[in-house]
Amino acid sequence: MTLFFMLFGLFALIFINVPIAVALAVVAVVAMLLTQGVDILPNVALVMFDGATKFPLLAIPLFIFAGAIMNTSGISRRLIAFASALFGFIKGGLAMVNVAASMFFAEMSGSAVADVAALGSILIPAMKKKGYPRGFAAAVTSSSATIAIIIPPSIPMILYAVMSDSSVVKLFVAGIIPGILGGTLMMGVCYWFAVRFSYPVEEVFRLKRLWFTFKDASWAFLLPLIILGGIFGGIVTATEGAGLAVAASLFIGGVIYRELNWQHLRKAIVEGGISTAVVMLLVASSALVGNYLTEQQVPQQLALAITRLTENRYMVLALLNVFFFVVGLFLHSAAAIILVVPIVMPLVNAIGIDPVHFGLIVTLNLGIGQQTPPVASVLITACSVAKADIWEVSRVNVFFVAVIVAVLLLITYVPAIPLFLVNVFYG
Amino acid sequence: MYSRIQKGFQRLLESIVIVLMVTLTGIVLVAVLYRKMGASLSWYDEIASVLLAWLTYYGAALAALHRGHIGFSGLIKVMKPALRIPFIILSEACIIGFFALLAWVGVDVLIILEGDSLVSLPQVPTRLTQSVIPIGAVLFIIAEILGLPELLREAKRPDGFSQHEIPAEMETQTEAAMEVPGK
Repeated sequence: MTLFFMLFGLFALIFINVPIAVALAVVAVVAMLLTQGVDILPNVALVMFDGATKFPLLAIPLFIFAGAIMNTSGISRRLIAFASALFGFIKGGLAMVNVAASMFFAEMSGSAVADVAALGSILIPAMKKKGYPRGFAAAVTSSSATIAIIIPPSIPMILYAVMSDSSVVKLFVAGIIPGILGGTLMMGVCYWFAVRFSYPVEEVFRLKRLWFTFKDASWAFLLPLIILGGIFGGIVTATEGAGLAVAASLFIGGVIYRELNWQHLRKAIVEGGISTAVVMLLVASSALVGNYLTEQQVPQQLALAITRLTENRYMVLALLNVFFFVVGLFLHSAAAIILVVPIVMPLVNAIGIDPVHFGLIVTLNLGIGQQTPPVASVLITACSVAKADIWEVSRVNVFFVAVIVAVLLLITYVPAIPLFLVNVFYG
Repeated sequence: MYSRIQKGFQRLLESIVIVLMVTLTGIVLVAVLYRKMGASLSWYDEIASVLLAWLTYYGAALAALHRGHIGFSGLIKVMKPALRIPFIILSEACIIGFFALLAWVGVDVLIILEGDSLVSLPQVPTRLTQSVIPIGAVLFIIAEILGLPELLREAKRPDGFSQHEIPAEMETQTEAAMEVPGK
C-alpha cells in the first residue's frame, strides 16, 4: 500500500513540476517516516551524501569537461572537414558527413546532447544553406547523436554500470559493433532520402583535400586512441581515461591548435559542473528510494511476479523493452537509468540475461526516448538549433528512429552482435 | 539590488564549481601519474569521491538558480495561469520544505559525527566533508527563493512559462562551435 502511495505521490509531484530528484527524495522521506518514524531522519542526510560519492561516476564530469574543451578548441570543426572530404562526394553527402562526424565525436564526448550542440550548430545551418529541408537536417543530427551514444565512451553506460554493478569497460566494448552498424544504416537512410528528393553533392572527391583534412585533424584522431586505447588496453580505468581525455584535449586544443577560448572554456566548465550536479543529485536521491525499496524487497517481488508469468527470456526482454520505451517517453535517460535499473536487475539476473547485453539494450532503448516527445532532450536541442518545429522534425525523424529500433531489436535478439567483441577480448 | 544579489550569488557558486571541477581533474591526473610510477595515492579514491559529492551539491544549487534540474513541465505549461500559479507555489513549497529538512538533519549529523575523520586522511574531520549537506541545502533554498519572483512573473503569462528543457551544456557549446577562428 505504501508503495502505491509512493508511486502516486511521485507522479503527482513530477506533474506539478517538482524536479524529479527532489520528488524522489520527498516520497522516500515520507515513506521512511511512515514506516520507521522520525528517528530515521539523520539517515536522510547520510544517504544523500553517500549517494553522491559513487567513485566510478567521477568519469561523468571529466568526460563532460573534455567534451567542452574539444568543442571550444576547433576539434569538432576539423572532424567535420575530414568527414566532408571523405563522404561529401556522395549524393546527400552532407547528411552522411553529419552521421560520420557524430560517430567520431561520440568516441570522445560521451553525451548525445553535447554532440548535437557541438556538431548541429555547424552542420544544420550548412545543410539548410545547401537546400536540405530544416526538418531533415535536424532529424539526421538528432538521431545520429543518439545512435552514437552507444559508441564508447558513453555517459548513460557509465550510469548503468554503476547502477547495475557491471563492468563499464565491457559495456564500452559491447557498444562498438552496434554503434557502427547503426551509423552505417543511418547513412543508408540519408542516401535513400537524397536520391528520392534530389539532395545535392557536397564537394568533388579529391585525394589531396582528404589528405589535407586528415593531416589537420590527425591530432584530434589521437584522442579516441588515447582514451579508448588506454581504457580497453587496461592501462587506465574509465575514470582515469576521462581524466586523460581532459589533459589530452587541453594539450591538443591549447598547444597544438592554439584555439582554446578561455571565456568559452570557463562557461563550458560551469555548464559541465551543472550537468554533472543535475545527474548526481538524481543519483543521490535515488539512493534514498533505493534503500527503502530494497528494505521492502520490491525488486525481488517484481522479479518473482514476472517470472511466475513467464520465464522465457525473449518474452521478458520484449516486456522490458516496452517498459523502458514507455519510461523513456516521460523520463530523461539518466533519470530512467538511475530509477529503474536497480529495480529490474534482480529480474534480469533471475532470467539469466547478461548484464552487459542488457546494458546496451537499456542505453539504446532510452536513446529512443531522447527522440520521442514529450521529454526528448536531444530532439529538442536539434530543433532549437535548426529553428524547426518539433512535429516538422519528427515526421522525418520517424525514418531514423526506425533504424534505431531495428538496431535495438537486433541487439536484443541477437546477443552475439554486442557480445562478440566482449567475448573476444574478455571471454 | 535584487539582481545584484542574484548575480553575486551566481558568481560565487560558479567560482566554487570551477574550483571543484579543476581540482577533481587535477587529482585524477596526479593519481594516474603516481600509480604509473608505482606509488599509488592512498587518499585518492576517498578525496575524489568527497569532491564529487561537493560538486553535486554546490552545482545543484547553481542548477536550481538556472532552473536546470530535470523535471516535467508539460502539464503545468498547458494550464491557465489561475490554476498554474497555485501549483507552482505548491511545487516550490515542496522543494524548499525538503531542503529545509535536509539542512536541519544535516546539522544533526554534523553533531553526531564529532570526532570522526576520513579513513585515508585522519587529519581531515568527517564533519568538514559532510558539511556540504546543510550548506548545499541552504544554498539550494536561497537559489529557489532568488528565482521565485521571475518564476511567478512567467507563470502569470497566459502563453505559459519557460522551463529550461534544453540541457544546459547546449548554450555554450553551440556558441563555441559556431565561432570560426579569425572571424
